[in-house]
Amino acid sequence: MTAGSPLPEPGAPLGHYVSTKPFDARSIEQLTPAQEKVYLASQWRLSWWKFKRHKVAVVCGVFLLAVYVSILICEFLAPFALDTRHKRYIFAPPQSIHLFHDGKFVGPFIYGVKLKVNLENMQRLYPTDTRKIYPIKFFCKGDKYKFWGLFKADRHLFCAQRKAPMFLLGTDRLGRDVLSRIIYGARISMTVGLIGVALSFSLGIVIGGIAGYYGGLTDMVVQRMIEVLQSLPAIPLWLALAAIMPVTWSPITIYFAITLILGLLDWTGLARAVRSKLLALREEDYVTAAQLMGAKTSRIIGRHLVPGFMSHLIATATISIPTMILGETALSFLGLGLRPPITSWGVLLAEAQNINVVALYPWLMLPVVPVILVILAYNFLGDGLRDAADPYK
Amino acid sequence: MRKFVRAIAWLSVAWAICVQASWAGELIETPSLEADVGAGKLPAIAERLPEVPRVINLKELGREPGRHGGEIRMLMGKQKDIRMMTVYGYARFVTYNDKFELVPDIVESFDVEESRIFTFRLRKGHKWSDGHPFTTADIKYAWEYVITEPELSGGSLPAKLLVEGEPPKFEVLDEQTVRFTWHAANPDFLPALAAPRPIFLAKPAHYLKQFHKHYQDPAKLEALIAEASAKNWRGLHIRMARQYRPENPELPTLDPWRNTTKPPSERFVFARNPYFHRVDENGRQLPYADQIVMSMGSTGLIPAKAGAGETDLQARYIRFDNFTFLKEAEKQGKIKVKLWRTGKGSQMALMPNLNVEDPVWRDLIRDVRFRRALSLAIDREEINDVVYLGLAQPSADTVLSESPLFKEEFQQAWSQFDPDKANELLDEIGLTERNDDEIRLMPNGEPLNLIVENAGESTEQSDLLELIADHLAQVGVRMIPRASQRDVMRKRVFSGKTVMSVWSGMDNAVVTPDMSPFEISPSAEDQLNWPRWGQYYQTDGKKGEKPEIAEVEKLAALAKSWRAAATAEERTKIWHEMLSIYTDQVFSIGTVNGTRQPVVFSNKLKNVPDEGIFSFSPGAYFGAYMMDTFWFAGD
Repeated sequence: MTAGSPLPEPGAPLGHYVSTKPFDARSIEQLTPAQEKVYLASQWRLSWWKFKRHKVAVVCGVFLLAVYVSILICEFLAPFALDTRHKRYIFAPPQSIHLFHDGKFVGPFIYGVKLKVNLENMQRLYPTDTRKIYPIKFFCKGDKYKFWGLFKADRHLFCAQRKAPMFLLGTDRLGRDVLSRIIYGARISMTVGLIGVALSFSLGIVIGGIAGYYGGLTDMVVQRMIEVLQSLPAIPLWLALAAIMPVTWSPITIYFAITLILGLLDWTGLARAVRSKLLALREEDYVTAAQLMGAKTSRIIGRHLVPGFMSHLIATATISIPTMILGETALSFLGLGLRPPITSWGVLLAEAQNINVVALYPWLMLPVVPVILVILAYNFLGDGLRDAADPYK
Repeated sequence: MRKFVRAIAWLSVAWAICVQASWAGELIETPSLEADVGAGKLPAIAERLPEVPRVINLKELGREPGRHGGEIRMLMGKQKDIRMMTVYGYARFVTYNDKFELVPDIVESFDVEESRIFTFRLRKGHKWSDGHPFTTADIKYAWEYVITEPELSGGSLPAKLLVEGEPPKFEVLDEQTVRFTWHAANPDFLPALAAPRPIFLAKPAHYLKQFHKHYQDPAKLEALIAEASAKNWRGLHIRMARQYRPENPELPTLDPWRNTTKPPSERFVFARNPYFHRVDENGRQLPYADQIVMSMGSTGLIPAKAGAGETDLQARYIRFDNFTFLKEAEKQGKIKVKLWRTGKGSQMALMPNLNVEDPVWRDLIRDVRFRRALSLAIDREEINDVVYLGLAQPSADTVLSESPLFKEEFQQAWSQFDPDKANELLDEIGLTERNDDEIRLMPNGEPLNLIVENAGESTEQSDLLELIADHLAQVGVRMIPRASQRDVMRKRVFSGKTVMSVWSGMDNAVVTPDMSPFEISPSAEDQLNWPRWGQYYQTDGKKGEKPEIAEVEKLAALAKSWRAAATAEERTKIWHEMLSIYTDQVFSIGTVNGTRQPVVFSNKLKNVPDEGIFSFSPGAYFGAYMMDTFWFAGD
């Protein structure tokens, strides 16, 4: 070190200059207010913009939201209560809504139908009687219900007259309205799978996160455990689980138990994905920085690593939920899922599994429609969300 | 002279044939057996038939005599359904005919003295399906070495062979005659022989002796046991001698068709028994059909397959509500479908478990007012309309109008829809308190949640239960149907954990006074309304519990006196009294009976009656209508 050096003596404080002028990060490149809005937006805001540009996803999101809202008020939306039977309308086909009668506008109405039994082949027939006109009423009084188990009510969104009930999607073998049953069925079908998904997600992220972050022996143990779990065949396992469930449990408890167990087995795929992502991401500089700054493991995983592959998580979640909905249908088919009197779309479809329905009463297969719509909607929504979760791409 | 001699010779041949077959007409060889007969593998028709075959005069029965050939295809669910072949084939010592009268079948004649001495005469020249003569030696073997053999029978005889705990005296009078003698009347004996699942009094001794330790050399027996990988000779013999479920293709049989397929299999072929003892009026040996093919598969698909013409005779696994679909399929010209009446006392009955463990429930269930109230609260007309299109008959669980024992008062007993009266009865018991949901409270303060267990096998049952649950809710009883499994349910009922279960009503509701009233008296531990009391009478008081309701005891006493009754009038009187007690006390809660069973058959298959009673007991489903007389008309 030569004399006259600008550096102070060893050990002496380093003299430095701090400008007192306000710091302007954009002094070199000035942003217009419009640009500012974009470049300074938070990640959530960016995601939202990006999501909004995916029109199909938005529509699907609104649709799913509407379905989830509808399950809160299905007593009001459904024209009839879940188990209201109509003795004179057994296997009645769907009725159509008309607006014009004899060329004149009447407003929405239905024609009357009258039961006739064909004794030759024991079939119930419902010929339309076009002389009788029953206008559709809105916010009308119908079956009594207890709204949210709190207060009594009897208003329904729409219905026809009491003596001429309206069945837009027909009735089943006990004369129950299919439309009402589909609306009520959404309650179970849309929610019951969420539990399993939530469970498998938390397990997948935590266990996969630990394995990926620590690596080494921990990773090895977790990987071998996952391999064992993945090699268990699913259907025999379900059968075995169904056999050990106590018979005294109610069908809904059994189903909850099964979804829980499915969730407990389903996390493995997600855990692997999380692990491999983490293995890559933990080598990034910003992780080293966080470590050097003394951040805890949980903070590093949760704050710095997980957001890095959020898009992947969202994609998995949006595929998992419809899988669970389909799983409910499949389980009901195997006789392991829900059983009547619990009503879900899977139960409705399981009841429609016979040759009579295919040949004579095809409208009983209509619960397929909401299942398909919901699953498609989830997939499109997932697509949009995945793009949105990575707004910088 | 020569001509004369020849004529004499012909005459004597004809005479010989006549004597041998006691058959005036000419016997017609079965076409499918001609090759074997020609090759000498099989004796000719005259030697195969007994001297006195059972002649079925189809014209007199209002049916058409047919011709040989063809195979009848049937669809079944599980492998063990091959037992249906023994039921449908229905060759028994004595059988019920289509009017449900007992007639001799395998035996040429039978003679009953004082309802306690039974003499059977076998048909001379009758042969097992392998051609070995069937004689009293086979009955002797069955009786002495199987039925009463302690190791094979487990030390006890079937209850129907015992009178006051005593077995009969068995005598072989000659090669064709046997006699069973009890010290007192045993009216259960002949019905037990004619039952769809009978007591088999004849076993092919010549075949089975090789598996029996009294006959077989121990070393050889050891080898056979090892070969069959059985546990011991007992297991081996039981397996080889199974007659109800004909799993052993080598076991000779007297049935119209014999199994030729060794399980496990998905397809069982039953070939004609060339030595079967029935002929039609034209001299054609029965059965007409050469073989029966049973295919196992998913029962849910059976209605669809039946509609597509994949079966030639089917009623099992087809429900009333399939009728419309089948009727549509009929238009394609492959099948015909007819509606028969079912022969059960009730299509579905609620069985209150009088032996339930819970003391509060026990008091309720044993209170006749409670059972009557439940019965009155059920709207049977609605059930009939909704599920059976009004074709069934609302009724208590009792005999059908086809039965000579039928009385309208039995049918109507507490089976009217009268919710007011039901409410009144429930109030009278003291169930007046109700909770917020309008459900009555039990004496211990719990809501009246009536859990009804069912085997969970049919959607028909769950539909009915749903309707009934609604009806009961109107009188403040919440019924909760709970599906479980057949065996689990039975165990739970027996151990007293189940309050109420679901089963069909009386199995045999077209009873005659000569049939045993065991179904409406405590007689067996598998009775769902009083399992322990049933066990008490089944084991002669060794196990189970003595009934604590006077009426149940009365039923048991009446059933006992029925066995001792000598005349038909006495039996009718006893039956009427029992039916009256049973329906008045509502020991089972019936719904509707006389429901319809679709019977699907190929439109080429002749002689299937358009109308009939489809019941397991009596009648053996198609058995009483003699499936061996069903034949295929030309293409």
